[in-house]
Amino acid sequence: MKSLFGNLSLTIGGTIVLAVILFALFGTLVSGYEPEQMNMKDRFSLPSSDHWLGTDNFGRDLWTRMAVGARVSLTVALCSVAIAVVVGTAVGIVSGYLGGAFDLVTMRIVDVFLGFPPIVLALAIVAALGPGMLNLTLSLAAIFWTEYARVVRSVTLAQREADYVTAAVAIGAGNSRILFVEILPNVVGPIIVLATLGIGTAIIAESGLSFLGFGIEPPTPTWGWTLSYGTRYLRAEPWLSTVAGLAIMITVLGFNLFGDGLRDHLDPRGIARRIRSAPRQ
Amino acid sequence: MKYARMLATVGLTSLAATAATAEITRLGADVDSATMDPRIQRNTTEYRVNNLVYDGLIKLNADLQVEPGLAESWENPEPTIWIFNLRENVTFHDGSTLVADDVVYTFETILDPDLKARFRSLFTPIETIEALDANTVRITLKEPYAPLLSYLDMGIVSKDYVESGGDIQSVPVGTGPLQLANWERGAKITLEPFEGYWGGAPDTEGIEFVVVGDNTARAQAFEAGDLDIIQSPLSSQDIGRLVENTQFQNEILGGLGITYLNFNTAHPLLSDPALRRALAMLVDQETIVNAIYEGVDQVATSILLPSSWAYDASITQPGFDPEGAKAAFAAAGWTDSNGDGTLDKDGQPLSIVLSTHSEDPNRIQSLEYIQAIMLENGVDASISIADWPAFSEGVRGGQHEIALLGWLNIVDPDRLMFGQFHTGGSFNWGSYSNSEVDAHLDTGRSATEIGDRTAAYQAAAAIIADELPYFVIAYQGYQVFHTNEVSLTPDARGMMRSVIGK
Amino acid sequence: MLWYALRRLALFVPLILGVVAVTFGIMQLVPGDPAAVLLGDEASEEAVREIRRSLGLDRPWWVRLGSYYLDLAQGDMGISYFQNQPVADAIRQRVVPTLEVAVVALLISILIGLALGVAAAFWRGTPVDAASMLFAQLGVSMPVFWFGILLMYLLAIRLDLLPSIGRGPPLAGALGDAILGRPAALVDSLSHIAMPALTLGLTNAAVISRLVRSAMLETLGQDFIRTAHAKGLLTFRIVFVHALGNALLPVVSVIGLRFGALLGGAVLTESIFGWPGLGQLAVSAISQRDLPLIQGIVLTFAVAFAIVNLLVDLLYAVIDPRIRLE
Repeated sequence: MKSLFGNLSLTIGGTIVLAVILFALFGTLVSGYEPEQMNMKDRFSLPSSDHWLGTDNFGRDLWTRMAVGARVSLTVALCSVAIAVVVGTAVGIVSGYLGGAFDLVTMRIVDVFLGFPPIVLALAIVAALGPGMLNLTLSLAAIFWTEYARVVRSVTLAQREADYVTAAVAIGAGNSRILFVEILPNVVGPIIVLATLGIGTAIIAESGLSFLGFGIEPPTPTWGWTLSYGTRYLRAEPWLSTVAGLAIMITVLGFNLFGDGLRDHLDPRGIARRIRSAPRQ
Repeated sequence: MKYARMLATVGLTSLAATAATAEITRLGADVDSATMDPRIQRNTTEYRVNNLVYDGLIKLNADLQVEPGLAESWENPEPTIWIFNLRENVTFHDGSTLVADDVVYTFETILDPDLKARFRSLFTPIETIEALDANTVRITLKEPYAPLLSYLDMGIVSKDYVESGGDIQSVPVGTGPLQLANWERGAKITLEPFEGYWGGAPDTEGIEFVVVGDNTARAQAFEAGDLDIIQSPLSSQDIGRLVENTQFQNEILGGLGITYLNFNTAHPLLSDPALRRALAMLVDQETIVNAIYEGVDQVATSILLPSSWAYDASITQPGFDPEGAKAAFAAAGWTDSNGDGTLDKDGQPLSIVLSTHSEDPNRIQSLEYIQAIMLENGVDASISIADWPAFSEGVRGGQHEIALLGWLNIVDPDRLMFGQFHTGGSFNWGSYSNSEVDAHLDTGRSATEIGDRTAAYQAAAAIIADELPYFVIAYQGYQVFHTNEVSLTPDARGMMRSVIGK
Repeated sequence: MLWYALRRLALFVPLILGVVAVTFGIMQLVPGDPAAVLLGDEASEEAVREIRRSLGLDRPWWVRLGSYYLDLAQGDMGISYFQNQPVADAIRQRVVPTLEVAVVALLISILIGLALGVAAAFWRGTPVDAASMLFAQLGVSMPVFWFGILLMYLLAIRLDLLPSIGRGPPLAGALGDAILGRPAALVDSLSHIAMPALTLGLTNAAVISRLVRSAMLETLGQDFIRTAHAKGLLTFRIVFVHALGNALLPVVSVIGLRFGALLGGAVLTESIFGWPGLGQLAVSAISQRDLPLIQGIVLTFAVAFAIVNLLVDLLYAVIDPRIRLE
C-alpha cells in the first residue's frame, strides 16, 4: 500500500519534473519568438495560435518567457541546493564524526543561521550583494545549508557507533577513509530526498523575494517576477499571474511528489522527514 | 459577515469617547510617519500630517501661490533682509501663545546639523534669524535667495514645549487646525479638530491617515469602502478602473515632480552631447507615459514644469525618433561596421548601463522598455537594478552611466536646477558643467523680479534641453480619488487642508 | 529538567553574540549609507558626513560592534535612525500585532491540519484521503503571497466579506471585552485577522495534516488495534483518543520548527495585508539601512525562535516521559 502510494508519487512527480526540464530546454525552440521581443500593440493577449500562453505586459510571448524562466528557476534552485548540500554535508559529517569542541562550535553557528527568519536573511544578503542570479543562488544556499548539516550530523553520530565503523577503526582505517567510505554512503539517501524537496522550496523562495523587490532583475524573465508583476494586474488581466502562479505551483508539486516517492525508496526510516518537516518560505 | 462588520462599526462607535467616529475622513497613506516633528520631516505622510497639525509663516495654496500664514504680512526692505509680522493671539495645542522666539527657535534648530533635518539645505542661505519683538521676526540672508519665501511653509514648533522635554517626536504641539488624537504606529494616525485654532475651529470630525504600503491594496481598500480618499502614488493598473467607477470623484493635476534620465557626463562616451541626444531619441516617452503610467503623467518637453511660472512650451528636448537617432549616431562615428547588430566605433561596441531602483515597478518597466528599443537600434544597453540606498549611493558617487530617477516637490525652479546643474552643485551627480548655465542659475537665485528670474531659468532650460545632462521623460501627474461625501480642492502636494476648509 | 532548561538558556548567549555578529557583518557589506538615506536627495556630501559622525558611523567597525555588545549587555538596543524612537519601543509596538496573527495562524493550521490528517487516516485509501493529501501537497507548493492576494481578491473585493487590509482593535483587549459581554470588538478584530492568519497558516496546515496522517496510520497499524479492528471494535475511542494522542507528538515538534518560518512568513503576509507588525518593519528597516533597528528585529526573531524551541522540547518531555532530555 505504502510503496504503491510511493510509486505513484514517484511516477507523477517524475513526469512533471521531466516535463518542466524539457520545457526549459526546448520551449524556446518551438515558440518562434525571442523572450525579449516586445509588441506594445499586443499586450496582455490571451492564448491563441500565435501565442500559446498569450503575452505579457509588453506584448512579449509568454510561452517563450516561461520557458526561459523555467531555465532560470531550475538553475537557481539546483545550484543553491547543490551548494547547500556540499557545504552542509561537509560540515555535518566532520562535526558529527569529530564531535567535541569542533562540533560544539559548528552547531552554534548552525543555530545562529537557523535563528534568522529565512526570508530576512535572504533579503539582507541580496541587499548586500545586489540582485542577480548568482547572488540569489548564494543567499538561498545560505538559508538551506543548515538543514543538511543537521541531518548529516545526526546520521553520522548514529553511524559512528555502528559496528562496522567500530570495526574499521579497529583495523586502523584512517579518518578520511572512515568518513568517505563507511559513513558518507549512508547519508546519501536522506540527502537526495531532502535536496529534491529543497528545489521546490528554492523556487517558491525566489518568487517571494521577487515580490518584495529583491529577486533577479529584469529583463530576465523569471517566474517570480512574472508572478509578482502579474498580481499587480490581477484585476484587469488575471491571466498573466495565473500562468506564472500555476507554473510555480505545478513545478514545486512535481519536485515534492518526486521527493516523497524517493523517500520511500532511499530513506525508508524517514530521517529526512524527521529533521526537515517542511519547506521554509 | 456583512452583518458582523456593521455590528463591529456600531460597537466601536459606542465605545469611542468622541462621538460620530463614523464621520471621520479616512485617507490612505503609502507610508507611516516616523516623527511628528515638522523640522525633521522626511516622507510624504509626515508633510501631510504636519501640514494639518502645524502652521508655517506662510501658506502655499493649491496653486502654489504664497498666502499669509502665521505671518500676517512681510516686507523685503533689502534683497537680503526679510521681516515677518506675526499674527497675534495664536495658541498652540497646549494652550501657550505663539511668539517670535518660537519661529527663531524652529529655524535655528533646523540649521543645527545635530538635528539632522532633511531640508536643512533649503535654509542654509540664512545668515541670522532674530526676534525683533514678540511678534516680529527678521531673517538676514548671506546672499539674495529668491526661493526662500516658498519654503517658509515649514511648521513652527513651540520652543517651550520642545526645550522642556516635550516628546515632539510622538506628541506634536502645533498651532494648526487639527491635533493628534491617536497614533497607532504602522497602522494609523488620527487627527481631531483643535477648538482653539486661530482661524476658527474647523468644521470636521477629523482626518485619519490609514497606512497601506502597497498601492494596489490601498486602491482595493478604497473600493471596498474602507477609505474615503486615496491619492498618488497609485498603481497605474488600478486607475482606469477607479475612473470608471461613478461612486468616486477623481481629479488629475500636473504634479510637482519629474521622472528623468540622468546622463553621467563624466562617462567617456556620455561626455559627448551629440551621443546623449542620439540616445535620448530612442526614449519613447509617449508609450512610457500612456502604456506604463496610464496617462496620469505627461510627456515632458523640458526641465521647466508646466505648473511653474517659468514654463515655456517652446523649449523642447529631442523627441522619439529612431531614424534620427541612427543618423545622429552615424554622424558621431557610430556605425555597425562588423555587422553584429551593435553599433561600434574604433572597434569599441556602443555599450551602456541603464540603472534604476527596485522599489518602483513603473520605473523598472520604463527602463525595460527603453532598453528594448535601444537594443533594437544597435545600442548594447544593459540594466542594473538595486534597492534605493544602494542605487542612490552609486548615483551620488557618480558611478552611474544613465540612471532613471525623479525629483519631487519642485515648488520653485531653483530647487530643480541650482544644485543639479550648477558646476560643482550639491546634486550635480552627472558632473555637468556649463558656465552659461551657471550664470543663469545665479541670476535666477538672486534676482528679485519675477521677470528676471523667468528669463534666467528659460535661458538655462534651453541650453539643458540641447545638451541634455538630464533627459526629462515625464512630468509626474498628481491624482486623487475621493468619495462624494468628501469635498476637496486638489493640491499637487497632496495636502488636505481643503478637506477641513482651512 | 530544570538543569536542562538552564543549560539551554546558557546557549542563548553564543546565539545572541553570533546573530549580532552575522547581521553586523552582512550590513557592513550592504551598499547604501543610512546617513544619505536619512537626508534624502537634497543633501550635500558635507551634511552626510556630519550625520555619519553624529550617528557614530565614522568609527571603525570593531568599535561599533563592541559598543553594540556593551549596550546590549545593559539591555539597550540603541535608537532607530528612522523611527525617532528607541529600537526596543519600536519593536514592542510591532511585536503584538505580529504575535496576534502568528498565534491565530497556528491555531487555524492545527485545527485544519488535525481535521484533514485524522480524516485522511480514518478513511485511508478513499477519495477523502486523496483529497486531503492533495491539499497537503498544494499547500506547500503555492507561493504564499500569491495565495494571500487571491484570498484578498476573493473574500474582500469580490464577496466583500472581510476588510481588505489593516488591523482591527487589539485582539487581547477585544477578547476581554467579549468576556464582559461586548463581542463587537472581537468580531471586528478577528475579521481583520482572518485573511492574514489563513495565508500564514496555509503551509503549516498542509504540513501538519501530513504528519498527523502518517502518525495515525502508524498507530492504527499496530497489532492490538488491528486486532480490535478485526473484531469490529475500531471505535471512536481508539481512533480519536489513542491514535490521535500519538499523533500529537510530531505536531508539537513541528510547531517549534515551523515557528521560525511563521515569523519569517509574516514578512510577506504583513506586506500584502498592510499589517502593522514586525515583518513590515523588518522590510522597511532593511530598505532604509536602519542598522540598529535591523539588529533589534533580527535579534528578536532569533530569541523568539530559540525560546519557542526550548518550550517545545520541554513540552515534548512532559507529553512523552520516555523522552529524556540531555
